[in-house]
Amino acid sequence: MQRGCSPLKVKFFALLRDITGVKETTDFSGNILVELLEELCEHYGKDLTRWIFAPITGDDQERQLSGDIIIMVNGRAIEHLAGLATPLKEEDVVAIFPRLAGG
Amino acid sequence: MYGWVGQILRINLSDGTVKKEALDPVEAKNYMGARGLGTRLWLKECDPKLEPLSEDNNLIFMTGALTGTMATNAGRYNVVCKAPLTGAMAASNAGGYWGPELKYAGYDGIIFEGKAEKPVYLLINDDQVELRCAEHLWGKDVNETTDTLREEVDIDAKVACIGPGGEKLVKYACVMNDYTRAAGRSGVGAVMGFKNLKAIVVKGTGAVRVADPDAFFDALVKAREKVKNHPVTGQGLGMFGTQILINILDEAGGFPVNNFRDSGTFSGAEAISGETLAKTYLVRNKGCMGCSIGCGRIVNVPEGPYRSFGEGPEYEAGWSFGADCGIDDLAAIIKANNYCNELGVDPITLGSTIACAIELYEIGALTEKETGRPLAFGDAEAMVELTRMTALREGFGNELAEGSYRLASKYGHPELSMTCKKQEMAAYDPRALQGMGLNYATNNRGGCHVRGYMTAPEILGIPEKLDNLITDGKAQWTKIFQDLTAAVDSSGICLFLTFAIGAPEVAEQMTAATGFDYTVEEVMKVGERIWNMERLFNITNGFTKEDDTMPPRLLKEPVKVGPCKGAVNKLDVMLPEYYQLRGWDENGVPTTGKLEELGLQ
Amino acid sequence: MAKVLMLDPEKCTSCRTCELACSFEHDREFRPSAARVNVVQFESEGISVPLMCLQCDTAACVRVCPTGALQRNEATGALEMDDDKCIRCKMCIQACPFGNATYDSAKNRILRCDLCGGDPQCAKFCPGGAITFTEATSGTMAKKRAYAAKFKEVLQEVTK
Repeated sequence: MQRGCSPLKVKFFALLRDITGVKETTDFSGNILVELLEELCEHYGKDLTRWIFAPITGDDQERQLSGDIIIMVNGRAIEHLAGLATPLKEEDVVAIFPRLAGG
Repeated sequence: MYGWVGQILRINLSDGTVKKEALDPVEAKNYMGARGLGTRLWLKECDPKLEPLSEDNNLIFMTGALTGTMATNAGRYNVVCKAPLTGAMAASNAGGYWGPELKYAGYDGIIFEGKAEKPVYLLINDDQVELRCAEHLWGKDVNETTDTLREEVDIDAKVACIGPGGEKLVKYACVMNDYTRAAGRSGVGAVMGFKNLKAIVVKGTGAVRVADPDAFFDALVKAREKVKNHPVTGQGLGMFGTQILINILDEAGGFPVNNFRDSGTFSGAEAISGETLAKTYLVRNKGCMGCSIGCGRIVNVPEGPYRSFGEGPEYEAGWSFGADCGIDDLAAIIKANNYCNELGVDPITLGSTIACAIELYEIGALTEKETGRPLAFGDAEAMVELTRMTALREGFGNELAEGSYRLASKYGHPELSMTCKKQEMAAYDPRALQGMGLNYATNNRGGCHVRGYMTAPEILGIPEKLDNLITDGKAQWTKIFQDLTAAVDSSGICLFLTFAIGAPEVAEQMTAATGFDYTVEEVMKVGERIWNMERLFNITNGFTKEDDTMPPRLLKEPVKVGPCKGAVNKLDVMLPEYYQLRGWDENGVPTTGKLEELGLQ
Repeated sequence: MAKVLMLDPEKCTSCRTCELACSFEHDREFRPSAARVNVVQFESEGISVPLMCLQCDTAACVRVCPTGALQRNEATGALEMDDDKCIRCKMCIQACPFGNATYDSAKNRILRCDLCGGDPQCAKFCPGGAITFTEATSGTMAKKRAYAAKFKEVLQEVTK
């Protein structure tokens, strides 16, 4: 791979690692964040989905994040980017934390 | 009285007299207990200008109205005096079982005056209160002292004591209780050491009663439910401890590295993280009295050079001995942290002071002649040994025992001390967390993270997510966090609860416990009153607007790497707004109107 | 089937919430010294063990009691003390091999676990699951399963 073309990296923390079995992966991608997250949930199943997305109650309801997750793209919380529509590109690092920390 | 047990002890160490006094219910209501009430009682009797290490500096141990009840996590007490490290007011907060036991013995608090001629300890066995010789304990570490006293007095007695750090007047010595809990910051242990008071042993068989048991039970059940159902307090803190923060702060670029010089992110973060600790040295978690969180870590390093068994580290110690010294060896960090517990010194200030010494060495301001060894970021073996030497004031440790401000000043570079009001900041870089910076700069006890925890909104999104890099709205939030924390600290419950509960739950539990009507507004008002009282102490003592600042590095040198690269703290933008919101004049002095409103005239 | 209090010291965080809940349930105040449950702490090993009356079948305390003040509540399985019949001779305290009956001098009474009339508060409020109130068989099956899981791991190791 050429320099400057490393793939998108996803990092998991705390309890999420028990679900994914890995600390990080470069196997997934998406044009915007929600696409990546859906791919991840597809692969890792309902345990991960429960952490990331709020339960869907209606048929045509849009995906919403659960309140139990902190997601950063390149170290910036997505609340201060474009949320689920945050555009992604190669070299980006997406970090996903369960909202567990305090101290 | 309800909630409070209504009695305090006054011990004159100079003449050995013991007095029992009634607690003034009006003062109790207005200041709740612990931090607020302790500070109030200190100020009524002591001159803010006195020398911290002098006979006149009263040393006050004070519990809160909720301490010892089944209110959410109500195991706490405060140690109050004028601080040797900062010259500001010190009120250091500790958990464990000692505070509740004091109330079961029938006392809300203890005021120590004067100075004993020879080492003594205080024995409290319900009504029996006496000073005893402690010469056989002098020099013993915290574990040995506690074990010896329990064998001597009662195996179930609770012990608060100092280790060699306090005896040797290390400027940031702790008071330790129940072996591993610490009233950690500002050097309250040095004041205890100066007074020749080695320990306070308490055995209590009485009760803490509440005004309205039914309402109190309903309130605590409701609050406990919230704490249990919140991911931070119900799951995260118990499972991973506070060190779970390391990866988050690192990812967000707010992790201070190498004395804040190379801040942003740390290559060894994962190696020292809460996740790694949980998979390696963690034996089980532990809680203080009545705690449903259990953030305490019982850890065991079974072999190797850093073999040790004990408790911790917290996030802050994981950072101060870790990233701040460039170290990614978790076993070494645990060893250093255990030294701090056993010898009774504050790991935040100590690790940060070592980091400062390393930087002074690297720029040539310190040489091997003074330090006795080469110093370098990343040298775990040296860090562990310096920790031990400092707590015992051996060799170069004698200089480190003065804290980074005095060390850096002596060697010509006070700007390299990462302190506010001479107390070392914690593990959140103020350039990456603008609001945390404002809190550090305005904190009444100097660089302190637990009295205005802006990390909650700025990084964790609790109660809502604020952008960590902007200054908008930070003054208002900082004030709210500072005031709420002052009330929480004074009620006797644990600050960590505030991830899940707030002023309404404090108000409800305080009202049912004491029978006084605490509304949400009154709880916040008590907090604000306490904050202003502490501020007034500092002003009388000579602190000015110029002291509401932070090291120039954080205001001028941009973060070098990571997501916050390029950021500096914009304190000058936030500070005037903060003063205004506080009802202070442009010099940071509370206005007459504000003081009248708070009943502080 | 009667439920029993199951103790799992592995899960005890030493918070002593059980003592507070117990004392409040019985006396509506917070007085751990009058709790019927106690957490025994071994600080140097980092282990804590919650202990209370085990409601023995052929109980030494019952047999030694000269007035028959201890009666089993068939509904809950608890041995309950009739304070009016009790003459405070404290023989039950001497007889209990576990130290699970104590004398409260402040209130002149014997303290023993009575399972809170069938809803033990210690189990209800234990945050770590170290004290649970459960069917004896399901309680022990959980322990069996946990131990069997360890055994299974060892077996898998050696048969690899």
